Amino acid sequence: MKALQIIKYGEIKDSLVFNEVSKPTVQANDVLIEVKAAAINPIDKSIILGNLQGMLPITLPSTSAYDVSGIVVETGNEVSNFEIGDLVYSRVPQEQMGSLAEFVAVTSDAVSKKPGNISFEEAASLPLAGLTAFQSLEYVGIKENDKVLIHAGSGGVGSFAIQYAKAIGAYVYTTTSTNNVQWVKELGADRVIDYKTEDYKSIAKDVDIVFDTLGQNYSLESFEVVKTGGKVVSIVGPLDEVSAKMFGMTDYKLPKELANASSEKNAEYKFIFMHPNGSHLNEIKSMIEDEKIKPIIDKVYSFSEGVDAFTHLASGRAKGKIVIKIN
Amino acid sequence: MEDLINKIKNRLQLSSEAEEFLYSISKEKTLAKGEVLIRQGQVVKKTFFVTGGCLRSYCIDKNGKEHTLLFAIKDWWISDYIAIHTNELATLTVECLIESQVIEFNAKELDGIHSRFPEFESYQRHNLERHVVSLQKRILNQLQLSAAERYDLFLKQYPDIEQYTRNFHIASYLGITQQSLSRIRVEKVKK
Repeated sequence: MKALQIIKYGEIKDSLVFNEVSKPTVQANDVLIEVKAAAINPIDKSIILGNLQGMLPITLPSTSAYDVSGIVVETGNEVSNFEIGDLVYSRVPQEQMGSLAEFVAVTSDAVSKKPGNISFEEAASLPLAGLTAFQSLEYVGIKENDKVLIHAGSGGVGSFAIQYAKAIGAYVYTTTSTNNVQWVKELGADRVIDYKTEDYKSIAKDVDIVFDTLGQNYSLESFEVVKTGGKVVSIVGPLDEVSAKMFGMTDYKLPKELANASSEKNAEYKFIFMHPNGSHLNEIKSMIEDEKIKPIIDKVYSFSEGVDAFTHLASGRAKGKIVIKIN
Repeated sequence: MEDLINKIKNRLQLSSEAEEFLYSISKEKTLAKGEVLIRQGQVVKKTFFVTGGCLRSYCIDKNGKEHTLLFAIKDWWISDYIAIHTNELATLTVECLIESQVIEFNAKELDGIHSRFPEFESYQRHNLERHVVSLQKRILNQLQLSAAERYDLFLKQYPDIEQYTRNFHIASYLGITQQSLSRIRVEKVKK
């Protein structure tokens, strides 16, 4: 089968190549998905560039990408929740990475039926970004009337998080650049802050939750805007101590400034590393079918244009998700 | 099953042999919500008479989106008749929207029942006529009525159905977007 593979770490154009590889074999708990569409995410680019070699070691050559939608064409002996012919979507687990191929084998726990009211391309755009937003906001226990600041509302995670928070009934502040203000407003955000002309810290004050999707100085600044006793949840900032332990870093300490800011505000800091989860995808499916959340796609590429799709991703200019149609 | 037998008896003289035969080719079943009876792409051998609950038949287009052909509530038949009559693989999927009770029949044997028991001929023709009428009405309504009018008719045909269907099921039955359906509902409330 045809697969878009990472052959070495480095520049996208030199590192991604179409290869003919063998079809994945199905383990007892796996389903084999005939891929209809795959989506790419910033993490896929970071892997190619070699920035995550320590954290997510892969054996090269390796097929790229995690997000997938397609049709179940084979089931392992112990799979009881899917049948051949089911239309599904998934964020493929790390050890099965490789959705940019004609087929991908995925453990059935990470798979869900796809929402019935959207296309394969739209479904493929959801898992990684959707699970990241869903698991982050669920962890901090988002509830009705919470004031939430979501950074980078036009990103894949941000645009999902805004819609999810609004579906729960929260009041949403979000930051974005001038060009994106209008369409981010249309996602339902209550106060869209144009970071080029406004200071978000003087607008979003005493919020219950900060969802930090930017990292760097934004993680620390979160404690300037969160209310006393509030929560800061980050997907790109420093690891928290519990998460560090999960990665085997037993003597890790939260950076001092962040630890101080967190204790001064009596506000929890939590790093979330998205984990594949079929039942969470099933909850997302219901919200999509009820149109509480809509997939936001920037552009759909054909499989043969796969490398161009990554170049577009690397430009950082996409409004919504970049999808690659496989079949 | 007794209900169905009584319905048949209202229309024809049912011999005890024929009644026995009906029992021999049928099976009463209770199905869980979400259960799939017919799956697109598979061989279809069964047809179902609904005695309770609600089922939906739909096709999936090449983009992966679902389009609802019909909802079957009490006293309706549901299957993929294209597959049964042309010996092709299913183009439809049939699923239970809520816990449902059906009588499952071997479709070929039920179809051929008149060759063994000729009294079924007029009964089957009557059912087929009703089926053709309802399909033609559905096509014509789709062609000439507004979405709001189609929604009104839909509610008359399936009075309680909104309790157990999702908006996208209804929108995809009417051939409109979910936003249009919401708009029509809002307009209805205003009236």
